[in-house]
Amino acid sequence: MVPTDPIQNLAEIRQIRGGGAVPVYISGMHSGQNPCSGLGIVRCLRDAFSPEQIRLIGVDHWQGSSGLHHDLLDEHWILPPWNQIQNRLHADAIRERLVAGAYWISAMDVEVRWLARHLGTHPHLLAPPLKAVHRTAKPAVQAFDSMGFRIPEYISAKESDADIHAFLREHSWRCWIKSPFHEAARVPNWGALQTFRHKFSNQWKTKRLFVQRHIGGVEETFTFAAYQGELLGAVRMEKHQLTWEGKTWAGRVSELQGEHREDLVECIRSTGWTGGGELELLKDNSGQYYIIECNPRFPAWLYGSAIAGHNLPGLLLSRAAGIEMRGAAADRPRSAYFTRVVIEIPANSEIGIPMPPEPGSFVWSPDGKGLKGGGATVALPSSQSDEDLAGGDAEGDVPQGVTEDNAAVVSEIKRLLSRFRGETPERLTLPENTRGIFHDLESRVRAAASERPRVRIGFSVKTSPTRFHLQTARECGFLAECISQMEVKRALATGFEPRDIILNGPGKYWPLTEAPRTGLSMVFCDSIEDFDRTSEISGIARTRGFRLRVPGIASRFGVPVEDPVIFRELVKRVASLKGRADFGVHFHMPGWAIGLRRWTQALGSILGWCKTLESLSGVTVKRLDFGGGLFPDDLQRLNLSEIQKRVHQALPEVEALYFEPGRALTQSGEIVVSRVLDVRTQKEGRGRKVTECVADACIAELPLSAGAIRPVYLFRRAGGVPGGEGRLTRLQPGKARILGRICMEDDILAGALELPSDLREGDLIVFGNAGGYERSMSYGFGRG
Amino acid sequence: MGLVAVKNKGILQDLGANLGSMELMRSEVNARKWIEHTASEITHHDGDCCRQARAWILGMAQSMENASLCESGIRVPHWLSDHFEWGPSEWPISWCELVRLDIIDCGVFSALVREIFQEQGVRAHPGQVVIHYGETCTKHWRGLWDEGAQKLPSLSATRRDERYFPWVGKNLVYHEICVVEAEPGLARLYDSTWGNWYHSDIRNGFGSIVAVRTQAPLELVWGDRTLRSGEWTVMA
Repeated sequence: MVPTDPIQNLAEIRQIRGGGAVPVYISGMHSGQNPCSGLGIVRCLRDAFSPEQIRLIGVDHWQGSSGLHHDLLDEHWILPPWNQIQNRLHADAIRERLVAGAYWISAMDVEVRWLARHLGTHPHLLAPPLKAVHRTAKPAVQAFDSMGFRIPEYISAKESDADIHAFLREHSWRCWIKSPFHEAARVPNWGALQTFRHKFSNQWKTKRLFVQRHIGGVEETFTFAAYQGELLGAVRMEKHQLTWEGKTWAGRVSELQGEHREDLVECIRSTGWTGGGELELLKDNSGQYYIIECNPRFPAWLYGSAIAGHNLPGLLLSRAAGIEMRGAAADRPRSAYFTRVVIEIPANSEIGIPMPPEPGSFVWSPDGKGLKGGGATVALPSSQSDEDLAGGDAEGDVPQGVTEDNAAVVSEIKRLLSRFRGETPERLTLPENTRGIFHDLESRVRAAASERPRVRIGFSVKTSPTRFHLQTARECGFLAECISQMEVKRALATGFEPRDIILNGPGKYWPLTEAPRTGLSMVFCDSIEDFDRTSEISGIARTRGFRLRVPGIASRFGVPVEDPVIFRELVKRVASLKGRADFGVHFHMPGWAIGLRRWTQALGSILGWCKTLESLSGVTVKRLDFGGGLFPDDLQRLNLSEIQKRVHQALPEVEALYFEPGRALTQSGEIVVSRVLDVRTQKEGRGRKVTECVADACIAELPLSAGAIRPVYLFRRAGGVPGGEGRLTRLQPGKARILGRICMEDDILAGALELPSDLREGDLIVFGNAGGYERSMSYGFGRG
Repeated sequence: MGLVAVKNKGILQDLGANLGSMELMRSEVNARKWIEHTASEITHHDGDCCRQARAWILGMAQSMENASLCESGIRVPHWLSDHFEWGPSEWPISWCELVRLDIIDCGVFSALVREIFQEQGVRAHPGQVVIHYGETCTKHWRGLWDEGAQKLPSLSATRRDERYFPWVGKNLVYHEICVVEAEPGLARLYDSTWGNWYHSDIRNGFGSIVAVRTQAPLELVWGDRTLRSGEWTVMA
């Protein structure tokens, strides 16, 4: 292998125009755990053509791309990292080579887009044109939309947090956040969404991130080679083994045939595609294909296709350059199956390998790409941004959505704040809003009364044990759900009768120094032992039963039915209730965390276990209690009638269903008012932008801030006069943060907000959704 | 090679059509036992003990099905291979016995997954296969079984032949799976022990299916072979 001086190389290219080996540049030689396809292309071309026919030149922007060392390469060309590349200089250098007779095959997504933008098309540039590249943007992948693939549901990451949160709940937090062209990350919780949204938007310089539902299925790809709109070859590859990062390790390759091939021919023609391409697909158990993404280049496992007798780069170069492939070696299938190995090869001393990382500068990365001084393959060209999508048919600009504020709530907040003169931070209750929520639910329960089983509501005392909330619950005919004897006393003191109380939880008899209150409505036991203890308390409740822990729903509560020995004991205890008490079953289904879809799936699971228990014990279930709480919006969407029907069909003896909406009743009914203590700015253009402010509230008043979805407002009185009318402005998404007043690292009350440039000390910042556990779990801190 | 389907007892002769397989089968001392062995069934004591145990298995399956990431098509009970470890089982085995176990053999896995699929409304049938491995593996498995069988409480040395089926051969092994009728007339072979589907086009090498038999009451096509009820079909 010869180190290549670009100028000297150019002279060589010119020399070979009249004959000799055709130079072929292959860029993207990274060969780590997440490899580029450069080395695969090199191996395919070397199989297909003799050294007399072609000369292979490996190109990369990082010395650490180990494919550069492979002895199949005749030459190498190492360029500066992408973010140091002068676009015009680099484009000219490539163009000169193309004009001189060389061919260029790119194995890097980033470079394919750059080439399309800065070089346009050339017969020797074996990469798709800009109009085709534009149409590969996720999630729609419009270039191939006529192939009939489904697109998993998605939402733009520019939508409001409330809408994104609703989408994530809807899909049970089994979702991905993706950029339109590069990278994806799982989103199992809100923290992950915030982290990756920030990371991807900065790293890939795009606002077009989106959140997409996960699809369970077998991964397949359709991979092809095309030249100027003509499909030259296409294969289907089923992934059999994946790496931890989800990359192919072994698979089966077959020729793409039938309708899929015919459709692909048409898509290739209509886009004028040149070069390699890969459609990444998921096939679910019903055989339906979902398109995940389109890579506008060959995939890294490409040599596996040549092993199966489909040498796609060979076909491409043969068609473009008019040189014949070497017969049998190029197309004889050796196996439909391929696997990868890891091997060591001598490093080329002319290239060298990167210096060991200085320990202090080490950035943890599974692929070794995150080291300072390296990582060029993931760096973006300085020009790349959403501009690359301009003119494309990719998803259009979605305005930054902010969920419409409830006008009545805003009006109530304004009225309260106009009168507010007190010290801050202060939690204020929105009585009208709260009563509205309670009474709305009461109306829905009344409307459901015509069907069986009847519906009752349990108000979880722990979510907000204020007199106002308890009395409102009682006015609406709700029961009080208590988890301790202290809460029972509290409920009784507010006017609840014992028969209106549900006793639940792992510590329901705390404190043990007091005799448990009897004559309650229902008691649910958290363990077999708890049941045995409860059985000794005479007259504890009319309905006795268990809280069950069902498989597939992570919970620390209840009797785990997945243990067959415990299950047998459970059946015995349920049978013992015959003629002694009504049997009830409680399920803790954290709708807040699992979302409504999975909540509904879990309901099916629960009804199944209830039927099994009925059949084995001979005791019918009389009451079903659904605990765990719901997200406020989900409470609205919960179809009571549908649930009544499902329960009645499965368990006809159930007389009543109890819902415990938890924080959904109280969370949005309170606000925390705080004052700005400090405003921090950074220079931006001619002015300054506000990057952070410190509020006098903190995580002691808002303990669930880390994962909270809440509106945050700025309130200013007209003319600064206390008592006067004020202007309440909801803060829009941005990059600023609101920090709390205390010296704790995690005291961050809100992130990703736009703070006005004229924000000043003393301004009122108002945090919505400050009721529920934000109230009941708040604590005194840093007050001396 | 064309289809070679043979009735149980004639398989040794008919396998002569495939020399490779014949050689392999001839060297297997227990080949006839494999061929004649009927697919495993779990016994039911016809009492509360087994009724409860079976209900528990199906309850688990329904819960895990509801929690599955796959929301369409066949919902495979992957949880079985998480819940149970693979190893020797003492036969006959009943529902109430198996739920108390941590270790079960492929016959129990196969019988369990059939029950679960049928409960889901998926047509599932007993499947028996002879699989090609090699001595380096079979020696270990024989050792594993000898060792495991010693731990089975009621398995005395004299009764071992009755209860410990000699599934491990020299280069071949007998294995039980589940034949799923995914679409009318089409078979898919699911291995509930390891939680994977077999491909019909892998015809040789480590882990390839040499012969398959199903008790499906109708003819089913698997790859380029037609599986007939109760008949061994040679794949190699």
